[in-house]
Amino acid sequence: MRDVSVIGAGMVRFGKQPDKTLAEIAWPAVKHAIDEAGVAKPDIEAAYCGTALGGMMSGQRILKAIGLTGLPIVNVENACSSSSSAFREAWIAVASGLYDVALVIGVEKLTRFGGGTLPLEREDFEVAHGMVMPALYGMRAKRYMHDYGLTREQLAKVAVKAHDHGALNEDAQYRNRITVDEVMAARPIADPFTLLHCCPSGDGAAALVIAADSVASRYTSKPVRVLASELASGKYMTGFRDMTTPEITVRGAKEAYETAGVGPEEVDVAEVHDAFTIAELLYYEALGFCERGDAAGLLEYGETSLGGRIPVNPSGGLLSKGHPVGATGAAQMVEIVRQLRGECGNRQVEGAKVGLTHCTGGGISGFDHGACSIHIFCN
Amino acid sequence: MAQTVHSEPPLIAGEAVGAGEDGQPALIGSECANCATRVFPPVPLCPECMGENVAPFTLGRRGRLYSYCTVHVAPRGWSVPYIAGYVDLPEGVRVFTHVVDAPEEDLSMEMEVELTVAVLGTDADGGAFSSYAFRPSAPERSDA
Repeated sequence: MRDVSVIGAGMVRFGKQPDKTLAEIAWPAVKHAIDEAGVAKPDIEAAYCGTALGGMMSGQRILKAIGLTGLPIVNVENACSSSSSAFREAWIAVASGLYDVALVIGVEKLTRFGGGTLPLEREDFEVAHGMVMPALYGMRAKRYMHDYGLTREQLAKVAVKAHDHGALNEDAQYRNRITVDEVMAARPIADPFTLLHCCPSGDGAAALVIAADSVASRYTSKPVRVLASELASGKYMTGFRDMTTPEITVRGAKEAYETAGVGPEEVDVAEVHDAFTIAELLYYEALGFCERGDAAGLLEYGETSLGGRIPVNPSGGLLSKGHPVGATGAAQMVEIVRQLRGECGNRQVEGAKVGLTHCTGGGISGFDHGACSIHIFCN
Repeated sequence: MAQTVHSEPPLIAGEAVGAGEDGQPALIGSECANCATRVFPPVPLCPECMGENVAPFTLGRRGRLYSYCTVHVAPRGWSVPYIAGYVDLPEGVRVFTHVVDAPEEDLSMEMEVELTVAVLGTDADGGAFSSYAFRPSAPERSDA
């Protein structure tokens, strides 16, 4: 496989845009990525569009707006991991030598569904019996609190940190700082979560242009190399499982670190899938940033805040930046690319050389999660 | 096939609830004749060995509450708030369930719970529906 780098990255601010079409939401992000890469449209040999709920031919609907048509366009659905999975498909194609330059899009318009919890697949037995994502994560949280003594105040601090970071990101859906008291007093969603423990619903898009390293220097002086592009699917289990261990992330992280040739101690900055507050803590442990049961300590010592040892979700994460499902994986990568280029201004992780993105999607009974995609980048 | 049970309001669990030996509602899983893998809800194909020689298997009525949480926001139709939970049955099967007949503060991890049937919500036509649920086992129930 050839080395591959990101040569252009763009995103639009996440938020509620009910009056715009999916294509109207997405094209500015795509145009930004292409302009930044400096590629001519004919140089882009294929496009991969990730969306969970965007509907048929999302990639074609978006790319006709910028007149990039006729090329192979692949639409990818993998729940929350849709655009990180799309990125991996593009990476495979470029790394294998099939193409030199490819485009990745992540997009979602959740306002088309109104408010409330994310619509899940009703054919699923548990969904048909009232499973919603906040309940699944709520049960993980309650069990973790029971097993490891995590408190509600500690859990609330995840949301506080997310908003502290998001306040510094002009692309974040929510840019307000919040307090532990405000988190705990918000309207209940699924115990122990209030509204502020849960990522918001919204719309958004992000895009990346990737190129084989052999041609990347034609376009940019600051390529960000892909060290690992990993995708795992969940293991279906009929029996008992430890819900405080996200096994799909543990497994995917091990493979990603091996491929990249780096360990968790070498990661300078990470964007992880904090759909709910407990998720971020579980992923600190699953990604190897701390030992089992030590996640709350890592958070409270400020190790995962800007200025700490391993800043996590400097963008604000899903909790503050927002979570337009299919757009999230690509948006995480946009943040890491900008961090590794040193372009993040007052939320810049100083001297960041290695960055990680982690995006995992679920909502199917019998799985920890359905899909998990982990990427490691370096400058 | 396990015997079906009639319930009013109607059950939404399909083949996952049938009549136990005593005629009372019981959870029905399936067991593979080739590899003994047990699955809930029942399936026509063993997900372990792909064997098609699977038969309905009546699960025990008591289990341990692995985790639970009160759900305040759910799609239209569900009676909120409700308590969602996972129950581990002695047959090695974990079941997603509603937990009823007790407030959340009376529940605890690993407590024993027993099967029941409960009204859980209303359908699009406004008719109530029910399904299996679990409640604290009789000696531990607050109203016992």
